Amino acid sequence: MADNLFNKPLIRVENLFKIFGENDVKKPTVNAIDNVSLEINRGDVMVIIGPSGSGKSTFLRSLNLLEKPSSGHIYVNEVDITDKNVDIDKHRQKMGMVFQHFNLFPHLTILRNLTIGPEKLQGRSLHDAEREGMELLERVGLADKANSYPSQLSGGQKQRIAIVRSLAMHPDIMLFDEPTSALDPEMVGEVLEIMKDLARSGMTMVCVTHEMGFAKEVGTRILFMESGRITAEGSPDEFFNNPSNPRLRDFLSKVLQ
Amino acid sequence: MSFSTMLSTMGEGMLRTCAIFFLTVLFSLPLGLVIMFLRRSRFFIVRTITKLYIAIMRGTPLMLQLLMWYFGPYYLFGMNIRGYRFAAIIIGFSMNYAAYFAEIYRGGMETIPQGQYEAAEVLGYSKAQTFFKIILPQVVKAILPSVTNEIITLVKDTSLAFTLAYNEMFSLAKQIAASQTSFVPFVVAGVFYFVANYAVAFIMERIEKRFDYYK
Repeated sequence: MADNLFNKPLIRVENLFKIFGENDVKKPTVNAIDNVSLEINRGDVMVIIGPSGSGKSTFLRSLNLLEKPSSGHIYVNEVDITDKNVDIDKHRQKMGMVFQHFNLFPHLTILRNLTIGPEKLQGRSLHDAEREGMELLERVGLADKANSYPSQLSGGQKQRIAIVRSLAMHPDIMLFDEPTSALDPEMVGEVLEIMKDLARSGMTMVCVTHEMGFAKEVGTRILFMESGRITAEGSPDEFFNNPSNPRLRDFLSKVLQ
Repeated sequence: MSFSTMLSTMGEGMLRTCAIFFLTVLFSLPLGLVIMFLRRSRFFIVRTITKLYIAIMRGTPLMLQLLMWYFGPYYLFGMNIRGYRFAAIIIGFSMNYAAYFAEIYRGGMETIPQGQYEAAEVLGYSKAQTFFKIILPQVVKAILPSVTNEIITLVKDTSLAFTLAYNEMFSLAKQIAASQTSFVPFVVAGVFYFVANYAVAFIMERIEKRFDYYK
């Protein structure tokens, strides 16, 4: 069973649509995701790029149902999570997510931000969760902040914490929603370093980002989205050195200068 | 009447005043939470009824509401409940204050960024877990100043129990003042309310300080 699953894609998306405003006659409808199908395999570092409003964030947020798809199916380990009878909370615990604005819990210490999930949701002992929490903090060089509160940290530090908060849940996959877009320029590097380490360690990742350097260096598959569709896909080499899609060429010429 | 006799008479009233106060706080704070949830329900009919309830509780005098709670069962259903007076007072106060607290809680909920819900959601928290572990602690911090205001008002509002001829402290003060043609009972009453509210403010400030550890 386990072997079978391992050969199957981790996530399979089938004919996904997300239409905004479909229940509101006063607003125009927008096809934020327009018939997207793809597979994400274990170990993939998928980077999604595209102009703003192209639906990349909406697509990413659909993968763990933060956005409810209008139609289509999303299979995680061959289980259709769009099925109403599926316990989505259980699946979300295995799908880490990092947000643009960190969303750390301000009333909890840094260490508690890392341990509350494993302890309260996965039933691990506090001692166990804290030991691992400290290891994770060491890994991102923030062990000395264990007893600080989020408001005492810089943006880059907060995002590093947000990443390890997700890792503490032992996810199968990590979703990144523009993780460096809200950071001061000098803090982007420290967050990207953590993400690169994570990619090299074999973590399956889906990243919506404007960091082309990151995409080139550790991406295994790059996707270009426009108007809710995936209009180009390829390895970093094909993608950046030899783009065939004229819109993609235009986009790259703007972001790479 | 000697000063000490007067004080001991009023002292009994103070106990009754305190009983109204503490029982109202005890019931209205959690009840307000329930009303807040109903007010935010995704069902239109539940929302609307709750809105109407809050509008009535806030839009009519508490004194009138107390009379309704006390005399309502008799005039509406012909029920004659013995010893109902005190219960009617507590129900009236609690239902009224719960409406105010519900609106304060709702205001507090609005201050929590959507990202907090999403972060909890993607970690796999259920709705209840998200509320009690992540949202509520932050809401409490946000609403403490408004809750203090409301509780201070409650201390003074307890005097409205005189409407139902309940001998709380201020009713006694008026009776003694009238029978003894003395101004002293009013001074004593004033001092009592002031000291009680000073204590409330002091305690609430301590609680606020305990939440100062984060921004």
